[in-house]
Amino acid sequence: MRLKSVTPTILTDLKLIEECRGGNLEKFRKLVQMTSPFAFSVAFRMLGDEDLAKDIVQETMVTIWQKLNKIKSAEAYKTWIYRIVINKCYDQMRKKKSNPEFTADENTWRLISDRISVEPSAELENSETAMIIKVLTNKLSPKQKAVFVLSDLEQMSQDEISEITGISKSGIKANLHYARKSISVMVEKYL
Amino acid sequence: MGKNSENHNRIINLLRASRPIFNSASDIEREVIQKISQKNRSETVLSDITDFLFGWVYIGWVRRSLITASVVLVAYFVWQQGTIIRQIKYLSSQPVMIESESRSFQTGFSGNKAMLLKLFGNKLPTQNITISKEQMDNLLESVNDLQTQYRELIKLIEEDPELKKYLEKKLTEMNRTRIKL
Repeated sequence: MRLKSVTPTILTDLKLIEECRGGNLEKFRKLVQMTSPFAFSVAFRMLGDEDLAKDIVQETMVTIWQKLNKIKSAEAYKTWIYRIVINKCYDQMRKKKSNPEFTADENTWRLISDRISVEPSAELENSETAMIIKVLTNKLSPKQKAVFVLSDLEQMSQDEISEITGISKSGIKANLHYARKSISVMVEKYL
Repeated sequence: MGKNSENHNRIINLLRASRPIFNSASDIEREVIQKISQKNRSETVLSDITDFLFGWVYIGWVRRSLITASVVLVAYFVWQQGTIIRQIKYLSSQPVMIESESRSFQTGFSGNKAMLLKLFGNKLPTQNITISKEQMDNLLESVNDLQTQYRELIKLIEEDPELKKYLEKKLTEMNRTRIKL
């Protein structure tokens, strides 16, 4: 079911983090350049909104700068940054609860169907990705959404997801199962 | 079911392959650096003030305790000042009557009231007394007449030694002292 593909990961070293800790803004600029695309990817896939994802990236980077002292290793940095992004996405989803939910009409489903059947290999544009993510994950809870994004789209291991989200491995399995099932039901129903 | 599974896989693979394009990296980078610089500036000002005031304390917990204590004291001082100002405002809104001043207004109603207070002092009931101006004038007139008559009587007694002697003797017998008005 799950296809293996090479997913880029955050590559950073402790030396760079040490330099940033010392208050070196130029080095931190470099760290932002290296880190922000990954933070953006997770935030965008979680929220299905480009502008909100950018805001999340910005807030995340400021938080990182403020709490850099807590980082003990480069590996911990990677987990930590994803945790910040996920938590900020949770906050955003909680805020959005009061807003009307996104509901897809027949045209939207037709567009998605055309997109996957006509050019399945071509990459999606951000707006298309946002639309598909919104449609498919509309009924998922924030936790299910996080597990689905980190596992199926960011292709992280269960250990990593557990560390990032704080959910136990069995919890991850259950959430992932429910998320996949919910998405399958929608695909079966509309595509 | 096979077709559904295929569609599901396709859609997931498509999403996985299409990493969101982050095309405003430089804008975000600039804004982040700007925000951090602003925060650093405000933090520096605060730490400068703290260092200036408590820089002589080297032990961390002592310094923190001193900062806390000073914040509490300043807050208490501000609260106290506020209370004092409120009290002053309340007191300045209250009417003040000075007895020595009110004597000069004996013809007016407030002057009469002061006179009444002087005459009867604590014997006056604490609640409000309803009395007309005319009644008040009559009362004061009677008091004045009584005082005049008393003074004349005293003068008469002083001028006649025999009468004075007689009265003193009578008063001693009655074991009474002279009543001063």
